Amino acid sequence: MMKEEHFWYWINNIEGFGRKNIRKMLSIYESPENIYNLDYKEIKDFFNNNNTRIDTNQFIESKNEKDIICSYDRLKDKKVSFIYPAQDSYPEKLLCIDDSPTGLYLKGSLPKEEQKSVAIIGARSCTHYGREMARFYGRELAKCGVAVISGLARGIDGMAHRGTLEADGYTLGVLGCGIDVVYPEENYELFMRMEQCGGIISESNLGIIPNAGLFPQRNRIISAMADGILVVEAKKKSGTLITVDFGLEQGKDIFALPGRTIDNNSVGCNNLIKYGANIVTDVSDILDILFCKTSVDDDKRDIMNGCISEIKNKLAPSEKMVYSVLSVEPKYIDDIIYETKLSPGEVCMYINSMVVSGIVSEPVRNYYSIKI
Amino acid sequence: MFNKVLSGTLHGVEGRLIVVEADVSEGLPTFNMVGFLASEVREASDRVRTALNNSGYHFSPKRITINLSPADIRKEGASFDLPISIALLASYGLIPTESIEGILFIGELSLNGDLKPVRGVLSIVDLARSCGVKKVILPYDNRFEGAIIPGIEVYGAASLKEVVEHLLDIKVIEKTDAKKSYEGKEKSYAIDFSQVKGQRSMKRATEIAVAGRHNILFMGPPGSGKSMIAKRVPTIMPELSYEESIELTKIYSAKGMLKSEEGLISTRPFRSPHHSITAHSLIGGGKVPSPGEISLAHNGVLFLDELLEFQKNTIEMLRQPTEEGKVTISRINGSYSFPCDFMLVAAMNPCPCGYYPDRAKCYCTPSQIKRYMNKLSQPMLDRMDICIHVKRIPYDELYSDSVEETSAVIKERICKAMVIQRERLNVFGISYNSEIPSQILDDVCKLSKKELSVRRDLFEKYNLTARGASKIMKVARTIADLDGSDVVCEKHLYEALSYRMIDLYNGGQNL
Repeated sequence: MMKEEHFWYWINNIEGFGRKNIRKMLSIYESPENIYNLDYKEIKDFFNNNNTRIDTNQFIESKNEKDIICSYDRLKDKKVSFIYPAQDSYPEKLLCIDDSPTGLYLKGSLPKEEQKSVAIIGARSCTHYGREMARFYGRELAKCGVAVISGLARGIDGMAHRGTLEADGYTLGVLGCGIDVVYPEENYELFMRMEQCGGIISESNLGIIPNAGLFPQRNRIISAMADGILVVEAKKKSGTLITVDFGLEQGKDIFALPGRTIDNNSVGCNNLIKYGANIVTDVSDILDILFCKTSVDDDKRDIMNGCISEIKNKLAPSEKMVYSVLSVEPKYIDDIIYETKLSPGEVCMYINSMVVSGIVSEPVRNYYSIKI
Repeated sequence: MFNKVLSGTLHGVEGRLIVVEADVSEGLPTFNMVGFLASEVREASDRVRTALNNSGYHFSPKRITINLSPADIRKEGASFDLPISIALLASYGLIPTESIEGILFIGELSLNGDLKPVRGVLSIVDLARSCGVKKVILPYDNRFEGAIIPGIEVYGAASLKEVVEHLLDIKVIEKTDAKKSYEGKEKSYAIDFSQVKGQRSMKRATEIAVAGRHNILFMGPPGSGKSMIAKRVPTIMPELSYEESIELTKIYSAKGMLKSEEGLISTRPFRSPHHSITAHSLIGGGKVPSPGEISLAHNGVLFLDELLEFQKNTIEMLRQPTEEGKVTISRINGSYSFPCDFMLVAAMNPCPCGYYPDRAKCYCTPSQIKRYMNKLSQPMLDRMDICIHVKRIPYDELYSDSVEETSAVIKERICKAMVIQRERLNVFGISYNSEIPSQILDDVCKLSKKELSVRRDLFEKYNLTARGASKIMKVARTIADLDGSDVVCEKHLYEALSYRMIDLYNGGQNL
């Protein structure tokens, strides 16, 4: 026996029958169940009147109760839940946008409606600085109770999620492919953790492989789910800017991290600032706007340098010497040796003990940078 | 009349004694040669006859039979020309039989009677000495090579005529001065570590690698000095011992690669085969197996530049020889064993374009890098203990006035560490830290409580495998030895961590 969710699941999974058509039919027939119960002639007339290109026979054939229920049950086996607009749990933020999703697949949980959220987005091929910033903002926002939303891609996205998880915050990943498809594969471990501590949503059914056309569409969900959008790094023409455009249409606050003017990876951000995006040099810049308040005196605003000096104070003198020549940009070990005038053995020793204790990272072999 | 003369041939890199018998009897004039001969040995009949004629020795036509015994060894090469001629001359009665007794002859003849150098003289002379032979007559160009072996008289003759006149006491050839073969020879190299500016961590890693005889992998962009440092590795290795020199010289002699004026090889070899090399020329082979590049690198360095460009099956072939220090090649007529105890130094680029992680130049995607790295053979990586990422040297360092350490200084430190290792490991029958088997690793590298907890941290932080962890331990042991420390301390472990192998799973990147 088909239930409401089965009808919604069915209408979302007819080949060649997209969101536009679904919405058009729903506006007339109100529920998927009503559509399901239409006879051949009514459907054919509707398609003819609306210039819908889909073949009526194909549409009728998809009404196979057994197949629909079987396919729907498969979601349960994979611990995926299906969410549709008529449900209470369907995020309100998505209802009010143009082209709102007619069905979503979810692993893990959705953010609470009252929780403020920020999308941290940026280029896939990014600098190490960008990665560190994404992680820093992910972590610090999570500490202030803000949910972090991103696209689970390489580069900035993945690091933003990782940062949030470091602070045990909630993070939502929006995919452009099937929810059981781990892309890129190096994020496998991140997928697993996000299922448990956060959520992953997608508009595509299981098994849909990544396709360039799907990514811009998922960007509208990223921007819709967020209250503010932070662009960490973007080239002049970056896919990230599509998300920003959606965000502007949807009336979201846009934040951008400034970069050096000659850095290709920061041109997009700097342009956004030029056109009026909020410039971000500290977490409080985002929090102020998000929570509509002005925070305390400027001294306390500098969380980043606060973190660094806190770490520095804990170090032994010789470790401090090595630490102080490091920066966010990865530095090769010989340059550290050259600058500190220590022997290679000593530098290796100090730096690796700091890597093991987690205050320095080694993004590439024998290149070191500070963690913030 | 029957006569016999001693000679020798090569089997792999070792010599074998051969007796050349000649018989001249009445009958139809023929020149028969028997005794499992290769075609170049059979052709000796024409060379010998003409050379004898041109040297002024004429015979009446008779039935000549030459036999090379033992008959079950296949004879190769042209080194029997001289002994055959001498046996013939004796059989014709032109040389008294007594004068050739107890003398071993080797040499190839040219048609005018000149003696030309042959391969494998050292091995044959060494064998002759151990068989009690007192005198050897060989080509002039081979005289220093033959004179390396003490306790045997070596005479170098330029032509057949000289040999005959020597045997007849008409004009005696001067005995080769053995001292010239190895005394007063330059033991130094034309290159030195002090010529390499900067690259301190790469130098340090190389020093550790040599000290513990660890195989090392350099990863870095083109022009970062990988080859330059690799070439200088032999200069910081301890000097060759006499036995090692002999072993090495035998290989070069067997391969025919010894220069005529060169006696004993006194410097460690550096072999850098191009990556198009075939498996057989790397390992050794051929119908009659001859030593390959790995044997030519014996007691020295085998440098594989552009490791990833080598054919995978060629690299896989290295697995067994690197562990055993020798390679055995079997052929239908016997198996041949060549020593190949070398240090492996390999170099490669970190990504297809070579410039990763310099993002200003390198646009390789993570998946491209991963695919590139996957060309590495895991079993080969398992045989490497040290890996270091190198960077191009900045201008300031390249043209600075800083004085770099010379090879001699580094060598001294390494020798000290080697002595310590040998003392410790002698009881186990090994001499280098890299050879420590895992079952005794914990005894050899004793860790205190603090170091044990450091090891645990490293193991968990870096997701080390058992193999990865034991490599870090071995390298840490070497670092401690260089430091003169009896126990492996925290700092040694941390330093060893810098040289751990790349993780193929991440394409050499850390997230």
